This record gives sequence, C-alpha cells and structure tokens, in this order.
Amino acid sequence: MIRNLFKTAWRNIQRAKGLALINVSGLAIGMAGSALIFIWLQNEVSFDLFHANRDKLYQVYGLSSNVDGHPHEISVVSQPLGPYLAQNFPEVEASARIRDINSFLITVGDKRFAHTEGYFVDPDFLHMFSFPLAEGQLKNQLATNNSITITEELAKRLYGNEDPIGRTILIDNRDIFTVTGVLKDLPQNTEFNFEFLLPWSYAVKLGGGYVNDSWLSNNTLTFVQLKPHIDPASFNRKIKNISREQSGRNDIWTHFVFPLRLRHLYNEFENGAPVGGRISTVRVFGIVAIFILLIACINFMNLTTARSEKRAREVGIRKVAGAGRALLILQFIIESFLTALISGAIALVLVRLFLPLYDQLIQTPLQLPYKSFTFWMLAFGFILATSLLAGSYPAFYLSSFRPAGIFKKQFAKVKGTFSPRKILVVLQFTFAIMLIVCTLVIRKQVQFAEDRDNGYNNRNLIHVDFSGDIERNYELIRQELLSTGTAVSVSKNMVPISQDSWHSWALRWHNEIPADTNRTITLFSTDADLIRTAGLHLITGRDINIYQYPGDSNSVLLNETAVKMMGFKEPLGQIITEPYDHKSFQVVGVVSDYVMGLPYERIPPIVTEGPGAWFTTIHIRLNPDRSTSGNLESAERIFAKYNATYPFEYQFVDLEYTRKFESEQRTKTMVGLFAFLAIFISCLGLFGLSAYVAESRTKEIGVRKVLGASVEYNPTAFHRFFKTCRIVTPHRVSLCMVRDEPLVAGFRLPGTGWLDSFFGSRLACCLDCSLHRQHPINKGGYCRSG
Amino acid sequence: MIELRKISKWININGRPNFILKDINLHVKEGEFISIMGPSGSGKSTLLNLIGMLDDPSEGEYFFMGNPVHSLREKQRSHLYKQYIGFVFQAYHLIDELTVYENIETPLIYQSIKSSERQAMVADILDKFQIVGKKDLFPTQLSGGQQQLVGIARALIAKPKLLLADEPTGNLNSRQGEEIMELFQQLNNDGVAIIQVTHSEKNAAYGSRIINLLDGRIELTS
Repeated sequence: MIRNLFKTAWRNIQRAKGLALINVSGLAIGMAGSALIFIWLQNEVSFDLFHANRDKLYQVYGLSSNVDGHPHEISVVSQPLGPYLAQNFPEVEASARIRDINSFLITVGDKRFAHTEGYFVDPDFLHMFSFPLAEGQLKNQLATNNSITITEELAKRLYGNEDPIGRTILIDNRDIFTVTGVLKDLPQNTEFNFEFLLPWSYAVKLGGGYVNDSWLSNNTLTFVQLKPHIDPASFNRKIKNISREQSGRNDIWTHFVFPLRLRHLYNEFENGAPVGGRISTVRVFGIVAIFILLIACINFMNLTTARSEKRAREVGIRKVAGAGRALLILQFIIESFLTALISGAIALVLVRLFLPLYDQLIQTPLQLPYKSFTFWMLAFGFILATSLLAGSYPAFYLSSFRPAGIFKKQFAKVKGTFSPRKILVVLQFTFAIMLIVCTLVIRKQVQFAEDRDNGYNNRNLIHVDFSGDIERNYELIRQELLSTGTAVSVSKNMVPISQDSWHSWALRWHNEIPADTNRTITLFSTDADLIRTAGLHLITGRDINIYQYPGDSNSVLLNETAVKMMGFKEPLGQIITEPYDHKSFQVVGVVSDYVMGLPYERIPPIVTEGPGAWFTTIHIRLNPDRSTSGNLESAERIFAKYNATYPFEYQFVDLEYTRKFESEQRTKTMVGLFAFLAIFISCLGLFGLSAYVAESRTKEIGVRKVLGASVEYNPTAFHRFFKTCRIVTPHRVSLCMVRDEPLVAGFRLPGTGWLDSFFGSRLACCLDCSLHRQHPINKGGYCRSG
Repeated sequence: MIELRKISKWININGRPNFILKDINLHVKEGEFISIMGPSGSGKSTLLNLIGMLDDPSEGEYFFMGNPVHSLREKQRSHLYKQYIGFVFQAYHLIDELTVYENIETPLIYQSIKSSERQAMVADILDKFQIVGKKDLFPTQLSGGQQQLVGIARALIAKPKLLLADEPTGNLNSRQGEEIMELFQQLNNDGVAIIQVTHSEKNAAYGSRIINLLDGRIELTS
C-alpha cells in the first residue's frame, strides 16, 4: 500500500510539472537559506563544547561597582587569585591563568615572525582544556622554563614538513625554547586563539610588565576546573570576597565564576548576571531561519490547495472506493514529503555551492560534515519537518472534501471571501517586509555611526606598536621621522587611538561628590603633540609637550566629558590625584570629545597623562605633501635602522576605524540577503498562485469574452483576491517595527521609527503594484483558450 | 434490501426550506434492476447519493440490508457501502494518475486485501471484461466506452451486492451505450442489484422497474 501511495504521489507531482517546479524551487531555496543560517547557528552554540571538562570549567570574573554606580563585570582578574583558589578551595580541581602575548618575535633560522598569537599559561592548561596533541606527550608540555608547545599550523610555517619535536625556537631574540609538543590546530568554534603556549614560569622569569603580584591589578584571564557535582552558586558565595580579604580593602571588586560553555553566547552582563550578548543575534537569526522556511512552506500550501478543485474529484473517488480520511492524509503528506525530499537534495547542492561565499560573508569557515551520521539524520529530520509543515494543511484541507457531489458534473468550488490562503499570503509578505525593515534600520544605524564625527582626523595617520628596540630608541626615531619630513608630527601613546584604552577608578579631584568615587575614567597618554598628531580640537589651554615643558610628566589633558563630570568651571590648573600611586597631576588643556572605543557608545571621560604613564605605540601623522608610499618607505628605513631585527609593521588608523563596523555591516548584508530571499520566494509563490488562478478561471474568462468583455476589463475579478493582500500587508508592517529591536541591541538612535514604517508600507505597495503587472492574465495569454 | 421511509431532503434558501426530495418511500429487493427517470433537477442524483450513503437525508429512515443507516455513524456507514455498494459515474471518474490496472485495484487496497489476492481478483475481472491488453494504459489513452468499462470493473471488483450508476451511458455513443447496458443486464442476471439513473427510455427499459421522479416526488412506478 505504501508503495502504491508513493507511486501515486510521484505521478501527481509529475502531472503538474510547472507547479512542481515552483514548489520545488521555492522549497529548495527556502530550505537552503534556512539551512545556511542553521549551520551557522549550530556553530555559534557549539563554542567550546568540545572540551571533555566542559561542564566543570568556569572563568573567574571580577564584579566591580565602579562604573556609573552600577556593578560591572571585569573579565580579567589579579594574578595571585588563580593559584590561591587552587590551593585553598577543595572544590577546585585545577586552575589556569592566561596572559596573551603578541609582541614576541619568533625566529627559526632565517625565518622571523612578529605578532604571532601566543599565551603564557599555567601547567594545568592543557589538562583542563581539550586541545589534543598531534605530537609529543602531555606530561612533557609546559614542564620546564624553556619548553614551548606550538600548533600544527605554526609548526608548518616554521619547519615545513620536518619533525618539529626537539627543535629550537628563538623567542624575542632573548631565549631559546625547545618544541615539546605540537597541538592539532584549534577548531574555529573556540574562544581561545593562540599558536603557541609558553609556561607561566617564563613570564615570571621575564618579570617586568608580565608579572604583577598585586591583588589590586586586574590583568589576567583565569579559569578554574571545579570538581564534579560542585554547585557554582555556593562556590560563588565562598569566593566572593577573596580579593577584599587578601588586599585588606573593602571598596574593591568581588568575584564570581561563570561557565565556559556559556561564555561565547552570553557575553553581556548586567549586575554580574548574564543578560545576553551574542545569544540575541543567535535567536534573531533562528527566527529569520524559521520565517524563511515558513515562507517557502506557505508557498507549498497555497499552490497545493490551489489545485483543490482537481484534487477534490480524486478525493471523492477515493472516498467512494472506500478510502478513510487517515489514508488520504497520509497520501498528501507523502506527496509533500517527496517534494521536500527533492527540494532537500537540491538545497543540499545549493548549500554546498554557496557555502564558500557564505563563509566569506560571516567570516567563519563552516563545513558540512558529510561523514557524520548525525548530520544526515538531522538533514532527514529537517526534510521530514518541512514536509509536515508544508503538507499538513493541504492534507487536512483536501482530505476533508465530502464525496457527496460526486454524481454532479463538477464539484462545488470552495467559496468565501475570507480564505486561509489570503492570510497565508499576507503572512508571507509580512515576514518579508519585516526583514526589509530590519535591513533598513540596521543600515541607518550603521550609517549614523559611520557618519558620526569621531573627534579626530584619522586620515594619513598610522600607528606602529612597540616591539624590540622601538621603545628604547623612540627619541631617535621621532627625531629622524620629523627631520626627514616623513612625518609632520609624532606622538607615543598608551594604546592606538582607534582602540579602547585602560580604565581607572582611582583618580580623585577637588570638590568631588561621593558618587564620583565610583566613576571609571578612560586613561590615555602622550609624550607630546597628541593634539597635532591625532588632529584633536583644542578647546582651551595647550597640548602636553615634554620637550618644551619639562614639568609635563605630571600634566594631564581632559576631554569635555571629563571636565563636565568633574564639574570644573575653570579646568586649567586643577589638580587630579591618584592616591594609590601617590601621583598628582595638573590639568594643562581641554580637548573636545573623541571616539576611542565603539562608535555606538557614549563617549567616556578621558584623562590623557603625560610621559609619567606607560606607552605601547607610536602615532605618526604622515607628511601630507609627500606621497604616502614614499612616507612609508622612508619610515620603514628609519625603523629598520633603530629596530633591525623586527619587521616594520604599521596600521592605518582610518582602516582600523572602518573595521569597527564590520560586524554590523555583516549583519546588515546577511539580513538584506535573507530579506531578498524571503521576497523572492514569496513572489515565486504569488506568481504560481496567480498563474494557477488564471488557469482555473479560463472558463469564466471565456464566458466573459463571449459576452464581450475586453482583456483590460477581465482581470478585475482576480484583483479582488490580491487587493485584500495589499491592503492588509502594510498594516502588518507597524507590527514588525516592534520586532526588529533585538537585532540592533546595543545602539538605538532616535527618529528611525516612523520613517521606516513609512518605507515599509511604500515598499509593500510598490511590490504589490509590480506583482499586479506580473499576472499572466493581464497579458491575455490565457484568454485564448477560453 | 433497501427500505426508504418518508425520506426528505431540503436545503435552506433565504431561510426557507427548498425541497429536493419529498416523502420518498422506496423498497428495493435483492437482485432487482431499477431505472430512475425524470427531468433535470427532479432529484435523481440526490436520491442516488442518499442510497449510496454519500449524503444524509434531512428527514426519514433508511434501512440497508436490515441496518438503520440513518442512525449509523460515519465509520459504520462507510464500512457498509465499502462492502456492498459499487458506483458507476457518467464522467467515469477514473483517477488520471493511475493505470487501468491500478484504478481497478484501488478499492481492494482500501479494503486491506493482500497483494497476491488483489492480483488474482484484478486479473480475473480484466479477463472477464476483455481489457487485459489495456491494463497498463492511463485513462486518457482510452476511449469513452473503454473508460466506462474500467469504471464498471472498478465498481464490481469488490463483489458488491448493489451497483449505483448515474447515467452510465450519458457520455457514450449509442453502440457503446448498448454494450454497457447489455453488460448491466448480464450482471443483474448474475445476482447484482442495479439502480441506474437515465434519461433514455431505451436504457430504462433494461430495468425490471422504472421510477419516475418529478420535483422531488415519486410520480410513477411501472
């Protein structure tokens, strides 16, 4: 019987080839689109789930109450904390600190690589996390002061195809390390990013900026592995006040641990509790994926039920021949299953074809696991779910026909102005327009942020980060850059201006109110010429310049927000102190606000210290009268002279600034793409539907023509159906305005609401208009047969 | 075999009942051959629907082989007609997607008869109707007469006791029509009761009894 059902279903699909083509292509495109999203989502939710200890691994966070008076999580903690937890808490199986390094020069023979990502880690790191070794033994890793563990990729770069075990690497022109192990390349669904691991003991040996035994300096990622069946909540209660107890200070941060497996998705905290982050993007795209599939399924439902008159006869005959309703439902479901199966196969090919492009778009190399049984089961499940979704309504609808009319020449038509088909079409276009509105909103917001005055001039500005001897030879480099006319101005700074900088909660000032003690201030630094180099706007006072004013070691510049926060009426000459380091600064100038962190956020108070602070980079404003390439060449010569062992590496600030929008641009492109898909599939469905309606009305049209109706007059009857859809759709758009908000979480700009709603409904009307032109009947093509 | 008592059927138009059938009393014995005649709209098809249990009367009682059809549930009713009634239609109503063989086989599938048994039964009837050579053709490849032959074969495959036919020769030329009527005669001789609706006096004459319907009432029985 099943064989018979499949045979009938297959013949039914074959019989209506045009319809099947639209059905299959719509479903295939929809399935491929949503499958692409699901593959990405699967990747997102699988982050760091491959660790064998995934349920026992936690990151230790700090919880500070120093930002705007609200508790705020700190992802780095002090260095003594990790070992302290491991030693004093029986709940802790192991702990590992991670300090990233990217400034080391790696030398093997004549091969040199700067800016390779690596970590200083505690010895337990590889026991806690599942980064398997391709070569070497686990017990030998990170065991001695001069052992290094590298990834397969780095091994290949350094040694080609030779065996790396036992070979040596010169690190930063200082110490020689022996390769003790080669790790398999990191999967891309991990938050960790390194190509080599160095033992923590080496950081201790280096001392300097890497090691800091203070409980008051937060600078290190710390993970703990708890023993089985330990309740993290009660553990959190125990560790809450450790830093306060150890430092003897009651006003600093508390601690809590957060599961590693949730770290990727829940990266935004509020009051120390995860409130979302990437999970909201995951949810939104999950909904988009379901919408797209639903739109494709609606096509199927509409086109299948559009054939109801023809199918009604078959249902009648079968019922008279003794078929029960369950059997008929099964028959229709099998039909939709066959369609879904064909579509699924085509969708698989489409996914395979477009995956490389898609990977580029989302900047994640995704792959289809062809060899995995689970993958095929899931794919089959997906097809089955689609066929049930698409086939259930037609199945129940068509099988409900009563056979009573069978003795009549023609079955009664399904009448009524309020048919589910209309609702479904409206639903389809509502989804599609919703996606379009989302695209528009994101577009506007990205545009707003891009157009926003960032407060400095990032054109022709590069920064060179310290490496090797740059810091030591800075004065010489600076002088030569200026004297050769390569640069018009040079300034060394704490961090690149395009990045978020360090934060401090320790600054005090005159006349501060109690609430101010909890304020966090962004720190920046310069030796001289910051204003000229970065192109900031000076409001009052002067720039810091250690060469002109030897006392400027203790001078600071404020930005407008800082002045406002500190409540200075006359900012120049005000004293700001840092009691813990016994420092005191004098304000010498005020600059207008400029964007350092994310361009969507409010500008923070920024205090720029003089040369008493620390530095990691040089900003160079290139000479605008000379060619950029000439400037870069001569800069390269100068850096080669004073920092011979390191390659000259620089970044254009404007490019870095543009890169801040990448993620939003990507989201925009993705939503835009899927909006297009949704519209395309909906139009395909509507086209099929109108073609079918036209076909099934050939008799009516014929009669009308015989009675003398013109071609122009004829379509009016059709329009009634599509008009309803047109009227209802724009009203639905206002609904979707509420829905698009999760997408743009993080930044909301004024005045987008009504405009986009307007856009949406205009668009709906335009679309409908173009659709009306598409009706085959308007071309008169189907009238002849009548 | 069939006992209709005071059967009426009406539909409401503008709130007023519009009678299609009124006070029909009919008794059909096993093995009878009845022709129903009457002008268009006299209620012939509706009567056939009611007898075939495809529709419910608005009023009245209907006994089929001793079973009170009017008080049976849908499932029991469909079980009854599956077992005892075969249908033949003016427009043949073959399923276009199925071959001749499969069309004939369909009712057996729905009665959950085993595959080997089905094969034997279908082969038997194909042979009897001399359409073995056509078994793999689709309905659209056949002439009207051949299609109706397949339709009758399908109606008879489950060995019904009653055959309901709605103008079985309506779409056929006179020679084909005659063949079909002779087939009916033969079937009737083999013991199958037949109720046919027809416009043709000549075809009606094949029946042992003629019922004339007019405006939903039985006008004359001869």
